Amino acid sequence: MKIPHIVLLSSVLAAGGGAQAQDTLTLGALVTLSGAGAAWGQGMKNAAEIAADQVNKAGGLDVGGRKYQVKVVAYDDKYQANEAVTVANRLVFEDKVKYIIGPVGSAPVLAIQPITEKNRVIVMTLGFTAKALSEDKPYTFRPNVTTAEVSQPQIDWLVRTQGIKKVGALFPNDETGQQIAQDLEAAYKKAGAKLPVKEFFERDRVDFVPLLTRMLARGIDAIELDGNSPATAGMIVKQARELGYAGKIVRTGGPATQEIVNVAGKAATQGMFVHTPIDPELPSTKAYMDLYAARYKHSMNGFSPAFYDGANLLFEAMRRAGTVDDTEKVRAELERISGFEGALGRLGWTGKAMYGIDHQLDAPFYVAEVQDGKEVIRARCTVEGCR
Amino acid sequence: MDWTFLATQATVNGLIVGLLYLLMAVGFTLVFGVMRMVNFAHGEFYMLGAFGAYFLVSGAQLPFMAAVAITFAGALAGGALLEWGVLKPFRRDELNGMIATIGLAMILQNLALMFFGPDPLSMPPVAEGVTRLGKAVVPTARLYVVVFACAVLALLYGFLRFSRPGRALRAVVEDMEIAAIQGIRSRLYYPLGFGLGAGLAAVAGALMAPLFSVSPFVGGAPLLKAFIVVILGGLGSIPGAAVAAMLLGLVESYASLLLAGSTADMLIFAIVMAMLVLRPKGLLGRGEA
Repeated sequence: MKIPHIVLLSSVLAAGGGAQAQDTLTLGALVTLSGAGAAWGQGMKNAAEIAADQVNKAGGLDVGGRKYQVKVVAYDDKYQANEAVTVANRLVFEDKVKYIIGPVGSAPVLAIQPITEKNRVIVMTLGFTAKALSEDKPYTFRPNVTTAEVSQPQIDWLVRTQGIKKVGALFPNDETGQQIAQDLEAAYKKAGAKLPVKEFFERDRVDFVPLLTRMLARGIDAIELDGNSPATAGMIVKQARELGYAGKIVRTGGPATQEIVNVAGKAATQGMFVHTPIDPELPSTKAYMDLYAARYKHSMNGFSPAFYDGANLLFEAMRRAGTVDDTEKVRAELERISGFEGALGRLGWTGKAMYGIDHQLDAPFYVAEVQDGKEVIRARCTVEGCR
Repeated sequence: MDWTFLATQATVNGLIVGLLYLLMAVGFTLVFGVMRMVNFAHGEFYMLGAFGAYFLVSGAQLPFMAAVAITFAGALAGGALLEWGVLKPFRRDELNGMIATIGLAMILQNLALMFFGPDPLSMPPVAEGVTRLGKAVVPTARLYVVVFACAVLALLYGFLRFSRPGRALRAVVEDMEIAAIQGIRSRLYYPLGFGLGAGLAAVAGALMAPLFSVSPFVGGAPLLKAFIVVILGGLGSIPGAAVAAMLLGLVESYASLLLAGSTADMLIFAIVMAMLVLRPKGLLGRGEA
């Protein structure tokens, strides 16, 4: 028990010596820092740290006449629900945080909500599940758009401008794959096209030639990749092109362009239409990417800016509410924010129709065309539609 | 749909995939023949072979042929060394030896994970475009791989059939004790057999790297296919493996043409189970003496 004492002592000394009358506001980062979802979790934790640094450099967060130094405490949930519950308990009952950035996964967020909602802890999650947001979960928000928001506008745009009529798709044969297949079929139908060719395969499959042969023989003019992991999507692109398929390839959900290009190569991915949550040309987004690049060595994950905005939205809500302790007030102010200029662009809340509560961030997103392995923005979208 | 076209296409696809399975299974069955032991690390040698080819081609800019040859030599030496260093105490203790190969597989996979990272890598294709065989369309890259695979199998056949060490190895596969009485030194042929098996797995990995992707987890699926092939063909029988691999490739191809993807996968295992019940020694297996 020696080390904690020294840490405690030095932090007391630092607090005593440095900023005397300042208070500390602690944000919890309950994210995945190891294993499969680590790239996303890192991006979220770093986003919170960058946002905290910025207010600290400006002299602290000014709420109700007091200045708060913002501190980020990060824990790893290993992308697992049980780990998430353990660290959520720690954050809520030991560290006494009132605000949590994370978790990354759907199962972890559903697992911690009984704790966070009951203790009025505001949660900013990435979890894609529709169940994360609902009327009886007033303290959970989602600062990133999910497949449910992005697929319909993008499909409408693709059908309208690219003349796609008959689409084929391959899905993993599990709950996720079956669900996405249904959603996409409905979305294409609504857009005036058809998804008549659906193939399901077991997740460890690597040879898609037989499935693709049958699919291509039915005369499709586009292949949809949504619902497949980045590596699998790359394999499908590669093998479809090897079979001489020259039609369109689209991915209307899940940013994975870099991985797909890594697997399939630049030639096979040329002209592919993909969903992307960020426009690197947008000045505010570019400013954030530069900040990120200056502080962290690795490349930024596409979800990171959303959580930088999420943290800043929290700060703004606290300023407006005039308190950091009464999360009921902060939550009410957070809901009221609209037209907020964030790194992603102009932000507000949406989701009433889909989730029963306006806790889903309404942020712009984009359809990009892959040119020489890089994304080139072709359409700018909101939940309303793409242009 | 044009059924004659689809049927030809499915046949061609099936034969190509069958050949790839054979390459994977032949090393597996060879190791079993020599050591009477299932090598669960076979898939990891496949994975290492894929990485070897990837780094030699993308990193060191070697031609593909040379990369495959170097990968084979490396795996042969590495496999022999592992047999000598790790599996030697288990030579008369097959069950524990199998557990040791499971451990070996985990160690190799996690080492790859530590050194190469989890992200899948892509190798440039050996060739671009498609080749038309009558009505059927074959990716040219696959055709190249088929030619290489045939060459490797022909070399292996020549080695086992005509060379002295090859004949000795076959004698060991036939009957270890009789071979020993004839003056064949088993302490040489255990490492050679295991190394050759590892080398063949690595060649399979190297040949398939440009077709599929390269990551620490690619070894699992081919190991399973090799297992199916070897069970169908009869453990330890190389001609059996050849027949079974082609059959498996064709059945898979036709099944995924006519049935939904998951049903096709189930069918394969139904066939394996039927085989185990009706003819446990496999198509051409001799049964366990």
